[in-house]
Amino acid sequence: MRLHSRSMRKLRKRMPGGRKKIAEARKRPSMPVCAVTREVLHGVPRARGTDMTRIQKSKRRPERPYGGMLSSKATRLLIIKKVRGEI
Amino acid sequence: MEVGNVCVKIAGRDAGLKGVIVEKLDTNFVIIDGQVRRRKCNLKHLEPLNEKLDIKNKASHADVVKAFKKLSIEIKETKPKTKKTTRPVRIRKIKEKKELPKKDEKKIVKKIAKKKEKK
Repeated sequence: MRLHSRSMRKLRKRMPGGRKKIAEARKRPSMPVCAVTREVLHGVPRARGTDMTRIQKSKRRPERPYGGMLSSKATRLLIIKKVRGEI
Repeated sequence: MEVGNVCVKIAGRDAGLKGVIVEKLDTNFVIIDGQVRRRKCNLKHLEPLNEKLDIKNKASHADVVKAFKKLSIEIKETKPKTKKTTRPVRIRKIKEKKELPKKDEKKIVKKIAKKKEKK
């Protein structure tokens, strides 16, 4: 892993001898967003890679069609359009 | 919206599935059944269809399934959850303890006395 690059986040730490140093850590991923309305999605955790695979599948996204992909508003509009034959 | 109106659910886990209004509770709430779980639902979360079924007020699930067959819509029936049964427990084999021959008490006393003399 390449430390001390601009994409890492910096943490100030104090060492036991009293000196101060700057430590580096990975940044958190951005908030998930609806594919249609660009709203922030609820029920999806902000986790990276292996942390996400360790979470249970039912806790990664809401139990709804297109859950984790579209917001609740967007799914409602989609289903209404399908029922009325507009799609 | 009246009893017997076929509708599609818009919100929740059952979104996109078809159901029938079985009972009317309020101006806002209704009991729904069919491909959807049998429970209370808000009218805002339902989209009505043109179809209608011959159902009595407060009809049972079996009557609803029969009525949906006429529209050629099949309803999957899930098995009811049974009570937890106890898992089979492994019975360990108990070894029979062999009875060892009893040692003479006099010999044991003599050994202990010898050890004390040495000390």
